[in-house]
Amino acid sequence: MPVIEYKCQSCGSGMVFDSETETLSCPSCGRKDNIEQIPDPLKQQVFSEDEAREYHCTSCGAVIMTDPETSATTCSFCGSAVILSDRLTGSLAPAMVIPFSVSKEEAMKAFKKWCRNGLLTPSGFMTADRIKGMTGIYVPFWLYDLNNQVEVHAHATKVRIYTSGDYEYTETQHFDVYRKIRLNYVKVPIDASEKMNDALMDKLEPFPYEHLKEFKTPYLAGYIAEKYSFDDKALFPRVKDKIREYIDSYIASTVSGYTSVSYTDKQIDTTPKQAKYCLFPVWMINYDFHKSDYTFAMNGQTGKVVGKPPISKAKVAAWFAGVFGVSLLSLKLISWMMGGGFL
Amino acid sequence: MKKHRSTMAVLALLVMFAVNLVLPAQVVNAADDKQLIFDNAHLLSQEEYRELNAMANEYGAKRETDIMILTSTNPEGADVQKMTENFYDEQAPGYDKPHGNAVILTLDMYHRETYLAGFYKGEQYLDDGRLNKIRNKITPDLSNGDYKLAFEQYIKTTYKYMGFKPGVNPDNIMFNIWFQLGGAAVIGVIVVGIMAYRSGGRVTVNGWTYEDTSTSGILDHQDRYIRTTTTRRKIEKNTSSGSGGGGTTSGGHSHSGSRGSF
Repeated sequence: MPVIEYKCQSCGSGMVFDSETETLSCPSCGRKDNIEQIPDPLKQQVFSEDEAREYHCTSCGAVIMTDPETSATTCSFCGSAVILSDRLTGSLAPAMVIPFSVSKEEAMKAFKKWCRNGLLTPSGFMTADRIKGMTGIYVPFWLYDLNNQVEVHAHATKVRIYTSGDYEYTETQHFDVYRKIRLNYVKVPIDASEKMNDALMDKLEPFPYEHLKEFKTPYLAGYIAEKYSFDDKALFPRVKDKIREYIDSYIASTVSGYTSVSYTDKQIDTTPKQAKYCLFPVWMINYDFHKSDYTFAMNGQTGKVVGKPPISKAKVAAWFAGVFGVSLLSLKLISWMMGGGFL
Repeated sequence: MKKHRSTMAVLALLVMFAVNLVLPAQVVNAADDKQLIFDNAHLLSQEEYRELNAMANEYGAKRETDIMILTSTNPEGADVQKMTENFYDEQAPGYDKPHGNAVILTLDMYHRETYLAGFYKGEQYLDDGRLNKIRNKITPDLSNGDYKLAFEQYIKTTYKYMGFKPGVNPDNIMFNIWFQLGGAAVIGVIVVGIMAYRSGGRVTVNGWTYEDTSTSGILDHQDRYIRTTTTRRKIEKNTSSGSGGGGTTSGGHSHSGSRGSF
């Protein structure tokens, strides 16, 4: 049976993951079970792959409507938290999970606070009273451990300018620079869900890795979870691209004290040591403002909010006028202090 | 709506401010104009003379200095500086008193030479360097025979330069109103641009976040010196084209000056 549901052993209600106590808790009677001690039913089951499978809610028997990527959801008829276990086993089994620590209420509060701080957002938006939906999603990420062998050759110069007699001398010393660097990165996250906007997910970082836990299904109870759309090999070019700028800035930091540096040869050999499949907590917020939809994402551990809010033209104009006025006045003051007329 | 209105008000104020800076109010009061232009060489028409004389009166009054023009066919072939000094001694011009604040532009049509002299406040605010700048500005127009244009330029520039404290470079870009307006606009665009860009959240991780510092590091490095190249450049001397410079009239009035041909 591929559908897992956690029933309270005291009262029989459906149990969900509680972000505050990090336990599986029963909303009806308040029973809390330590997740570490619950035997994970996933470990004992073996499934055969069957794409055309239908999932039935174990509480009400209704067909569970899901996207093919969804691995945990709630029954749309009775609201029970259900986990589709065949989408979490085999090659789809996550290694680690960061559970939610921001509850829905806290997320709502944090989002409203964030909206109020928007300096350019329209005032109608700042009240944050048009939140259409707020969904807690476990987003699939690949965590790459990467070893890099870097070898660079560069031509560098040191320039000294001095005057002697009637002449100004420019003395340029040329150097041949070589660096061999070992640069290892651990747990570089790349989101593996096709649905999620990559730029949005990148801005959500950092995820606090001290909260990484061994994956257990009860963490997903009550939330939506997605399975990865791309495997670690398919996303390897993306992670290589991501660490490229890290490597470049590291190289630059090792070649210091020169006036100019131009790289003649840069060899970066990246070997993936391992890639772990992890689920990270993200609150997705849908906001309806002036008939257009805005999507925001919030880091389910740190509360960091990302997403493009609408920009108010009036506020932009007001800020521009203000900054322009102050700048003009300052420039005027500077010119006045230098001896020019004020007007 | 209230916010819009206040924004518009601020903008309108700024525009008015800017317009004010660019166009000094032009009030022509011909009635009590005194003669500041002595066009003995008849380079100007009646109409042009009236216009320029009014202009010289108006701008000069703001700087409390007589901005004067003297043209001469100079049949005797006198020295242009001597001519200017004698003119000052004999005519006794001055905004505040006879032999007072004045700036004189003399055109010697015989030798085709110009001389600019500043007396008292004129000397204090228009040193040889500033007079040189003014002369260099108007010389091309004089050479072309555009006397009216050159005289206008002379009056306006004199007025403008006297607005700066003595000793500073009046052509410093910081004093340029267009530079100030442009600079303020650029700052405004940058600040608002950054605000808009950052409104959607920004990346707060860098290479340090994921670097395994215990196993990373420089394995080998080499900085090999190859050669030194040296270039030299002759330092441009500030050739002070103080052709003429200032002096003292026979009447004992000291002045600054700038001399050149056109």
